[in-house]
Amino acid sequence: MIAENTQTQMRKGILEYCVLLIISRGEIYASDIIAELKSARLLVVEGTLYPLLTRLKNNGLLSYNWVESTSGPPRKYYLLTEKGKSILSQLDATWQELSYAINTSKKVADNDTNDQININK
Amino acid sequence: MKKTLNINIGNSIIHIEEDAYEMLTVYLNEVKQHFAKNADDFEIVTDIENRIAEMFAEILTNQQRQVINIQDVQIVTAQMGSVKDFESSEEEEEETQEYASPPHFSVKKLYRDTDQAMIAGVCSGLSHYLDVESRLVRLIAIATIFLGGSGILAYVVLWIMIPRAVTKAEKMTMRGEEANLKGFANSYLQPLVHQSRGFIAEFLDVLGNFINGTGKVIFKIIAAGIIAFGSLIILFLIVALAALLGMWDSNVYQMFPLNIINHEYITASAIAAFLVFMIPVLALVLFSIRVAFNSRPVNKSLSFGLLIIWLAGVAVTSFYVVKIGSEFKEGAEFTQVSEVKPFQTYTLNIDRTRFFTKEDSLRYSIDPGNYNGRRILTDLDHNFDAPRNIRLNIEKSENGKPSLSQYYKARGKTFEMALKNAQNIHYDFLQHDSLLTFSPMLQFVKAGNWRGQEVELTLKVPVGTRLNISKNFSRYLDGYGYWDCDHDSNSEFTVWKMTDAGIKCEHEETENSGE
Repeated sequence: MIAENTQTQMRKGILEYCVLLIISRGEIYASDIIAELKSARLLVVEGTLYPLLTRLKNNGLLSYNWVESTSGPPRKYYLLTEKGKSILSQLDATWQELSYAINTSKKVADNDTNDQININK
Repeated sequence: MKKTLNINIGNSIIHIEEDAYEMLTVYLNEVKQHFAKNADDFEIVTDIENRIAEMFAEILTNQQRQVINIQDVQIVTAQMGSVKDFESSEEEEEETQEYASPPHFSVKKLYRDTDQAMIAGVCSGLSHYLDVESRLVRLIAIATIFLGGSGILAYVVLWIMIPRAVTKAEKMTMRGEEANLKGFANSYLQPLVHQSRGFIAEFLDVLGNFINGTGKVIFKIIAAGIIAFGSLIILFLIVALAALLGMWDSNVYQMFPLNIINHEYITASAIAAFLVFMIPVLALVLFSIRVAFNSRPVNKSLSFGLLIIWLAGVAVTSFYVVKIGSEFKEGAEFTQVSEVKPFQTYTLNIDRTRFFTKEDSLRYSIDPGNYNGRRILTDLDHNFDAPRNIRLNIEKSENGKPSLSQYYKARGKTFEMALKNAQNIHYDFLQHDSLLTFSPMLQFVKAGNWRGQEVELTLKVPVGTRLNISKNFSRYLDGYGYWDCDHDSNSEFTVWKMTDAGIKCEHEETENSGE
């Protein structure tokens, strides 16, 4: 249960970051976002993405254009706003810090085990 | 073979099988409910719907099919994720709110359960709603039939009011099961075992199918008949109302059913009564139009307006009924005795022709004493049939002198009014030698309303007097066995004789003395 909670928390933040990353590459349609997330093995169900996109849009990070589609009704293509871009760069920085923190923590742990091995030796 | 529906989802038209449609509806309702607390509810749901539509379109083009079935819906909803999946990925504050409120609140709704119906599923529906055995509900229902039959009326009212559980979702809400995707899948995977149904319910089903099929034609013919007949009645009512209001001050108000109503009430009460009768007929016609042509001739607010007008009409009518009814509260009567010239034999006749009053004899220059044989037809026979207001008793005279007592009776709001109404009665009785001529009708001295006015005549004749009573009299004589005395069908009269024990048929009398 505790593990599950932490996992959800981690996934939530990273999902948001990844969505922003994917959109930052250019105008993109929601199902393509989903496809990319799937290939990145991040998204479990599609329904989760729509509330997230709407929230990001309402916070001013995203905007969208209606683009005519050959098959069916017009589609929403999402793109980053200026605010979104600045926040994404902040997130990039945060991610650097976090990955450094994680890598360092892991290395320290490795070192510790190594030390113990050395002692045993 | 399955029934399919056309749905518009995300602005594209999709053919979908009925059960798949039900499942999709349940899913989308769940989604909508989930996002209802969200301000962007509409946008998110629209996005999801659009995506579902797209996935459907993909499935159909990829598999070269035309109709979405329940498996497709299952696949799509699984991909889209259930509400539970959404919950786990949402903001923390929202989650705490989620825990504060009860996570699932299943609402039970009252439906008629036609799957387990004995008649129309009212009782089994109630039993689901109240969570008791349906047998118990039925027992109570049957018991109420013996309480003045109120149960039958209640049953019919509930039958009309409670909707039938048609879709799976409705059936689940009826049982208080959660109408969510999980419950839906459960009930879909475990189809209902064949339920016990009453033969009346089966019969109603057959009848329903009949009405839907061949019976429809018959019903349409009946409906068309009702439309034609009802329109005629409405036309008649309108003409009658116009005629009634147009004939102000004409003597039609002096005739029986209309002369109950006080003159000053005529307009208002006629319009009110017109509405009271016309609107139900109109409603029936409109309903028939709906049945016959499958179209709604009037919208809801208009029919509601008609109902209000009808209720107003009923209120006004009952107001006048009570008001006029109160004028029948008190009764009064007075007697007038007039002497009759003594003769050994009297001939009693009803003058079926117009009875001459003094004014008439002046107007037509006819001597009232000598009009015998002249028949002037009256419109009397064409009158509305007034309640019989003249009665004749023939009794033995104690003092040996013939006399005629006239009891004038009437009713009114107060005794004074009743007496005034009684005094307003004018009744004609004429003696011409031994011929006693009675008028067949009452007349009013002044124009007045019908307030139960009647005249009871008591003719007293000495013992031994013979009476030739006209056959026209039969309807004014009570309790004398008039027709028993009718031996000679050619004669216009029957012959009676006054004895000590009262009046006797002379024929009988001679027979008795002959023995």
